[in-house]
Amino acid sequence: MKVLIVEDEPKTADYLERGLREQGYVVDVARDGLDGKHMALEYEYDVIVLDVMLPGTDGFTVLHALREQRQTPVIMLTARDRVDDRVRGLREGADDYLVKPFSFLELVARLQALTRRSRGQEAMQLRIADLQIDLLARKAWRNGQRLDLTAKEFALLAALARRKGEILSKTTIAELVWDVNFDSDTNVVEVAVKRLRSKLDDPFKPTLLHTVRGMGYVLEVRDEQGEDA
Amino acid sequence: MKLSISKRLAAMFAVASFVVLSVLGVAMHGLLKRELERHQSNELQARWTMYRPMVMRNDDAVHWAIVRTKFDNSISENNRVSLWVQGPDSHFRYGSPLTEEQQRSIGTHGFGQVLLPGHEAPLKTYSADVEARGERPRVRLTVGIDSTPFVETLHAFTVGLVALTIVGALGAAGLGYYIARVGLRPLDQLSGEARGLSPGHLSRRLQTDTLAPELSELAESFNGALSRLETAYQQLEAFNADVAHELRTPLGNLIGQTQVTLSRERSVTELKEALHSNLEDLERLRAIVNDMLFLARADRGERAPNRIEVSIAQEVSHAVEYLEFIFEEAGVKVRIEGDAQASIETSLFRRAVTNLLQNAVQHAPRGAEIVVFVLQQPGAIRVSVQNAGSGIAREHLSRLFDRFYRVDSSRSGSRENHGLGLAIVRAVATMHGGTVFAESDDGATTIGFTVASA
Repeated sequence: MKVLIVEDEPKTADYLERGLREQGYVVDVARDGLDGKHMALEYEYDVIVLDVMLPGTDGFTVLHALREQRQTPVIMLTARDRVDDRVRGLREGADDYLVKPFSFLELVARLQALTRRSRGQEAMQLRIADLQIDLLARKAWRNGQRLDLTAKEFALLAALARRKGEILSKTTIAELVWDVNFDSDTNVVEVAVKRLRSKLDDPFKPTLLHTVRGMGYVLEVRDEQGEDA
Repeated sequence: MKLSISKRLAAMFAVASFVVLSVLGVAMHGLLKRELERHQSNELQARWTMYRPMVMRNDDAVHWAIVRTKFDNSISENNRVSLWVQGPDSHFRYGSPLTEEQQRSIGTHGFGQVLLPGHEAPLKTYSADVEARGERPRVRLTVGIDSTPFVETLHAFTVGLVALTIVGALGAAGLGYYIARVGLRPLDQLSGEARGLSPGHLSRRLQTDTLAPELSELAESFNGALSRLETAYQQLEAFNADVAHELRTPLGNLIGQTQVTLSRERSVTELKEALHSNLEDLERLRAIVNDMLFLARADRGERAPNRIEVSIAQEVSHAVEYLEFIFEEAGVKVRIEGDAQASIETSLFRRAVTNLLQNAVQHAPRGAEIVVFVLQQPGAIRVSVQNAGSGIAREHLSRLFDRFYRVDSSRSGSRENHGLGLAIVRAVATMHGGTVFAESDDGATTIGFTVASA
């Protein structure tokens, strides 16, 4: 998976590069709009992360030039939470946008959503350790035992299982499970995770659903019992 | 270039008086000229009548010599006068010979004029025939008067008029400037007072009672604007203080924790723990900043851009579904009553309802019921969330929607709830052309908002 980051702010560009590289992406960085335009047109990328506010050639100009030749998926980063910026970005052919300050996990989730679109059909059966999930029948088993989950609990489990090993932020979970795309003060996700955990992990070993403090939740098999509560 | 009002008025006064004086001057000049001409004509006719009998009486060559003498005397007595007698017989003639050009300008009968060498102004003439008598044939008697005095009089008068007009206009300008300055003095007073206004003295207003009625109205509207500004300014100040306070706590935690962590060698687990803890605070900061940006959008007057026509009850039920687990935990039930169709931006609307429900569930006792009423009113749809509970004191009700406002000033529970929930409800209402409201009595609290309907 190859990604181009067009970002002039050095700290932002550096942590994005490092973070995405550690997530398994091949990362190129352009430090201004002109380089960004050149690289986006010259090389093949699976997805481009494009800052709006760039010195010289701004993000919209880069996007415009890109869209005349290519349909590479683009996520715009905007510091201004203004509708016209977003509307303009989407109209000019951006596939998604994130408003600064954004969380890194959020960006990863969006990148994956964008690149997944082209990745064809997913498996309908998922298996993690002794956990077995049938997405079609909306049923789950652990150690051969059927888990008695409500619809939302199942949706949460499926969301986490589909992205096995990825940390999902609360915002992403709220969006995937409840189709809620705004921040709110509620601890709905915590409560839901707690309930899921009582059915998924409490009666069984090993623990699969882990809390990553300050970041979110991940479903995976871990060797040592670490930081979950 | 911008002229001051006083200078502009002075210039206008000057132009106006110049025009009036000029018109008057031209009229008077015309009148005087006509009078002078009439006077001249009368004199000419009188002189002609005076000289005619002399020409009439003397009808032979001998007596004609008397005419010559008398005419010579008369001319030498009064050098303004010229006389000509013209006729076919050269014996009965008088006066210097005239060129054809001069003859033409005198004419044969009535008034005329002629320019003689040595004179600046032309002579005015009057000619008429005298009947033949005795030896004398019919002759033409022409009397001429030098018009120099008249022309000089008219000239002097014209110069005087022009000078008076200019002086008058200048005088009017000066006087006008003075009058304008005096008339505009209340304005100076007003601007002096306005200069005294500053952010340090927000409650100061312009004095309106001493002002002229024209200005006091202006000053009053200005005072109105000042009042609104004062309110906004105070809100902003309070808001800034609140923001600083809200951000200070997590920032302090971040700095302190990081310093403590770095002051010793730490294990990876400890370092991880510190980073996680930092991340929690940072996420909180991010949430606050994002919410503030959202509120700023509403403050700028931005309207909900992506509206679609939907069932309000259905949107409310989405929000209820989202919070379902919370309700179960808190042991409360939620009921939706009524429905209406409205054009709204669904994610904004759900966010507002979610915040209202969240607020209600925090205040409702276990086992209580929360009711969401959807009511179609003229021009607006009213969405209200009612929960049983201890009620909210009146002094808090109006401020519930203020940013960072918490009924319990101890700011307990600020970990999860950073105090912007209801402010966001108000922002969403504003973005949909609506308002917010809150009512409370002993038994129940109702908080809600409206959205404009088509």
